[in-house]
Amino acid sequence: MSAPAIELKKLEKSFGLAKIIQGVDLQIAKGERHAVIGPNGAGKSTLFNLITGRFAPTSGGVFLHGEDVTGLKPFEINRRGLSRSFQITNIFPNMTVFENIRCGLLWTMGYRYSFWHMIGRQLDVTEKAEEILEQINLSNRRNELAGTLAYAEQRALEIGITIAGGADIILLDEPCAGMSHSETDLIVDLIRNVTEDKTLLIVEHDMGVIFDLADKISVLVYGEVIESDTPDVVRASAKVKEAYLGASLEEEAV
Amino acid sequence: MSIASKTPLTAGTTRLISLSNAMPWAFAALFLLCLPFVFQSSSALTIMNQMAITIVFALSYNMLLGQGGMLSFGHAVYMGLGGFFAMHVMNMVEDGLWLPLPFLPVVGGLFGLVFAFLIGSFSTRRAGTVFAMISLGVGELIAACSVIIVVFFGGEEGISGDRTMGPPVFGYEFLTQQEVYYLTVVWLLVAALLMYLFSRTPIGRIANAVRDNEERAEFVGYSQRNVRWISFCASGFFAGVAGSLFAINFEILTEENLNLATSGSILLVTFIGGAGFFVGPIIGAVVFTLLQTVLGLHTELWALYLGILFVACVMFFPSGFAGLIAMHRRPLALGNLKLLIKPYLKVAVPAITSVLSLAAILEILFHKRHGYGGGHEMHLYGIAFDSGAYQAVGLAGIIAAISLFLVSRVLPEIREAWDSANHAEDRV
Amino acid sequence: MALFLVNVLDGFVTGLLLFMLCSGLTLIFSMMGVLNFAHASFYMLGAYFAYQISLVTGFWAGLLIAPLIVGVIGALIERYGLRRVHKYGHVPELIFTFGLALLIEETVQFFWGKSQLPFSEPAALDFAAFAIAGNAFPAYKVFMIAVAMGIFLTLLYILTKTRIGMTIQAALSYPETVQNLGHNVPLVFMCVFGVGTAMAGLAGVIAGPVLGVFPGMALQLGSIVFVTIVIGGLGSLWGALVASLIIGWLQTFATAYDITAEQVLTAIGFTKPELIWDHPLQDLWTLTLPQLGPILPYLLMIIVLVLRPQGLMGNRES
Repeated sequence: MSAPAIELKKLEKSFGLAKIIQGVDLQIAKGERHAVIGPNGAGKSTLFNLITGRFAPTSGGVFLHGEDVTGLKPFEINRRGLSRSFQITNIFPNMTVFENIRCGLLWTMGYRYSFWHMIGRQLDVTEKAEEILEQINLSNRRNELAGTLAYAEQRALEIGITIAGGADIILLDEPCAGMSHSETDLIVDLIRNVTEDKTLLIVEHDMGVIFDLADKISVLVYGEVIESDTPDVVRASAKVKEAYLGASLEEEAV
Repeated sequence: MSIASKTPLTAGTTRLISLSNAMPWAFAALFLLCLPFVFQSSSALTIMNQMAITIVFALSYNMLLGQGGMLSFGHAVYMGLGGFFAMHVMNMVEDGLWLPLPFLPVVGGLFGLVFAFLIGSFSTRRAGTVFAMISLGVGELIAACSVIIVVFFGGEEGISGDRTMGPPVFGYEFLTQQEVYYLTVVWLLVAALLMYLFSRTPIGRIANAVRDNEERAEFVGYSQRNVRWISFCASGFFAGVAGSLFAINFEILTEENLNLATSGSILLVTFIGGAGFFVGPIIGAVVFTLLQTVLGLHTELWALYLGILFVACVMFFPSGFAGLIAMHRRPLALGNLKLLIKPYLKVAVPAITSVLSLAAILEILFHKRHGYGGGHEMHLYGIAFDSGAYQAVGLAGIIAAISLFLVSRVLPEIREAWDSANHAEDRV
Repeated sequence: MALFLVNVLDGFVTGLLLFMLCSGLTLIFSMMGVLNFAHASFYMLGAYFAYQISLVTGFWAGLLIAPLIVGVIGALIERYGLRRVHKYGHVPELIFTFGLALLIEETVQFFWGKSQLPFSEPAALDFAAFAIAGNAFPAYKVFMIAVAMGIFLTLLYILTKTRIGMTIQAALSYPETVQNLGHNVPLVFMCVFGVGTAMAGLAGVIAGPVLGVFPGMALQLGSIVFVTIVIGGLGSLWGALVASLIIGWLQTFATAYDITAEQVLTAIGFTKPELIWDHPLQDLWTLTLPQLGPILPYLLMIIVLVLRPQGLMGNRES
C-alpha cells in the first residue's frame, strides 16, 4: 500500500501559552475527500496553516506521500503538489481575473522565474487558463480586475487559483463561507468536479456540504481529533454529539 | 533569446509585439529621431539628453516601485555605481582597452546588476517599510563611502573622463552633442523596450503578483524573496545603463550621482508620473526635467513648487499624471469625451490664474524677505514693481481669491459632466 | 581615562537625543504602522520655532512653546493629510511623509533662508558644570541629559502605570488589536502623531544650540534615526533605546580617537608602500577612525540585518 497523501504525526502548535493544536494524528489516503469539522476556535484553520507551511509546528511532523515536509516554506510545500485556498479571500486584487489564474499556473507549467519567455506567446498557458476560467464560470469576467469582482465570484476565483497548478492534494478552507444557498450549490458542484481523482481536505461549517462531499470526516475539538471516520459513523457518534453540544452550549454561555 | 524559435509566428496574439503594440514604439522612435531638427541649440540637446537619462532611470525605478511593490530610497546607488564603473572603463579605453562607446552602457549595466545582486541578497527578504529602510541605509552608506574611497570615487571632485577616445563607430567619434544625443536615444529605446518586455515575461507578471499579495504568491509556488531579488537585479542593470549614459553625456560623476537627494528625486519623478503605468515614469521624467530646467531658470522656488506638486499628487491623485490620463479611457470608449471639453475649458482660465497668482504671492514674499542687493524692485510675469509694497501682495491675493472662487463655482459642473461622461445611457 | 569618561558622557548625550526622536517615531510606527519619514523635519521645525520665539521672549519660553506648536502642526497634518492617504496603504503613507519632509525643508528655507541661524544656549546655562581632569563639561549638556531623562521617565511612567499607557502597550505588542480597543481610533492616532512630533520638536529645541540650526539639520539626523530603529528592531521601544545609545557612543568614540589604518596595519605586520599616492590601496592606508565615524551606523545596520533581520530586540519582521 502506498503512503497516505497527508499524514500528521503528533502535531502540536502553541502560541505563547495557548496550546491550539495538541497532538493531532491523522492519515488521509490518496484520492480521499476528507472534511474537518469542529466548533469555532477548535483550531481548524491553524491545522491548515501547519500543513501548508504558513506556520511552523511546535512539535510533531507533517508528511506528504511519505515525505517529511515539516517546517518547509509554503512555496516548497506547494511545489510538492499541495495547494490551498483561504477562508478570507486571498487573491491578486490589482490583476485581471485571467492573470490571477495564470499566476496559479506558471510554476507548475515550468515557466518558473523565466525572463526569456514572452508570456502572451505561450499558448499552452493561455489555453489552460481559459479552460480553468470556463470551469469556474468566470470566462465572461476574464478582463476585470479581480478586486472589483462580487464576493461569490472572488470565492470562485480563489478556488480557481488553488486548483490551477494541478496539485494532487487540495486544501479548501471554508469555501462556502458567506454564500447563499444557490451559490453554495454551484461551488459544491465545482469542488466535486475539480477534485476528481485528487485528495481533498476541506474545512466547512455547512454540514449539508460536508455530508454531501466527504468520504471521511474528522472532528476537531480544542485542538484534538476526537473522531475520524465515515459520515455515517460520525453522525451517529455520541462523543461527537456531546463535544459539539458542549462546545456550542459553552459558546452561548459566554 | 529563444522567443523566436519556440513557437511559430501564427496568430496575431503570439507575435513578440503585436502590430498595435508596436505602433507607439515606432512613433516614439520617429519622434525622438526628428527632435534634433526642431531643437538645434546645444542647451536644448542637453535638456533632451538629461530627459532621456532620467527616463531610463525612472523606468528602472518603476520596476521596483510600480511593478514589484518595493519602495526604495536608495536607487541612485545602482545608477551611480554603474556610472562610476563606466567612467573607469572609459578611462581604460583611453589607455588602450578596445571598447566602442555605444557598448559602454552594457558594462555599466552589468556592474549595476552585480551590486543589486549583492545588496538584494539581504534587502529583498521583506517588502514594504523594512525594504525601504534598508535601501535608505545602504544608500547613505555608499554615499558616505564615496568621500572615503577616493581612488574609486574621486573624493569631492568626483571622476571625469573623455568619451571620444574609443574606436570610432562608422566614423562617428561622439565629438558633437548631436551624436551623443542619437547614442542616448537609441539606448533609451532599447532599454525601454527591454523593460517593457520584461514586464511581459513570467517573472514580470509574478513580480506584479508578489506586489499585490506576497503571501498568496508563495502558495502558488513562488518564493517572494527570489521574485523580488530577480526584479531588483534587473532594475539594477537598467539603473547602471542610465548611469553609463550619464557618464557618456556629462563626462563627470560625483557623489551627487548616488546620494539620497538623487534617490529621492527619482521616487518623486516616478510617483508624479504614475507608478502604476508603464508610461508613468516617462511622463514624470519629462515633466520633472522641464520643471527643473525651465522653471529653475526663472525662480529659486522651483523645488518648493515641486514639493507642493508631489504632496498634492500623493494626496489627491496617487496614480499620477498617467492615472489622470487613464481616467479618460472610459469616457473616450463611450464617445463622451466631448462632454468634458466645455467644463474643462471653463475651469482652465480661473485655475491657471489662481495657480499663477498664488505663486506670485510666494514669489513676492520670498523676494521681500531675501531680496538681493538690498533692492525691492522685482520682475514677475513681465511686470516690474516694488516687492516691499503691500499693494503687490494685496493685488495678487485678491486675484487669487477671485479665481479660486470661480474654480469652486465650476467644480460641480465638472463633477456632473464627469458622471454623465462615464455613463453610456446618458448619451440618448 | 579622563578623556574616556568625557566621551562616555558625550556619547550618552548624543544617544539620548537620538532616543528622543526614535521613541516618538517608534510610538507612531507601532500604533499606526506609519514610518514617519518627516520625523526629523519636525525636529528641525522645533529648533526653528524655538529660535524665532527666543528672539522675542528668550530661550525658556521657546523650550515650552515650540514643541507645542510642532505637536499641533503634526496633529493637523495627521488629520488633514495622512488620514487621507491612509486608505491607500502603508507604502503611500511612507511616500506622503517623504514628500512632507521635502516640503518642510523647502518651507524652512523659504522663511529662514539657507544659512545657519545664531541660536545659542541660554546665558544661565553657559558655564562649565564640572571638569574631568581639565576637560570642562558644559552645564548645557547636563541640562540636555536631564530633559531627555525626564522625557524618558515620563514615557516609562505613562506606559507602565496609566490606563492609556497600558492600551498603548497592548497596541505595541499586538498592532492588529488597536482597532478593537473600543477607543476613538482616529482621535488616538491624531494624538499619538501629535505627541510623537512634539517630542521630536523638543529634541530639536535642545539640540539646536549644540548641533546648529540650518536647513540640512533634518537630513543630517533623519537617516541615522531610521537606521537606529531598524537596528533596534522596528516597533521596539527598548530596542530603540539600546540602539540609540550604541550609535551615540559609536559616533562619539570614533571621532574622539584618531586611530589611523596605518597604525593598525603596521602593528599587525604590514609595511606601508613607498609610493602611497599611486597605490591602489592608498585609501586603506590613509583611512582614519574619525573618517569612518559617519558610516559606522550604516555598517552596523547591515551587519545586524544580515545576522538578525528583525533587529536587536524586534520580535516581528514587518
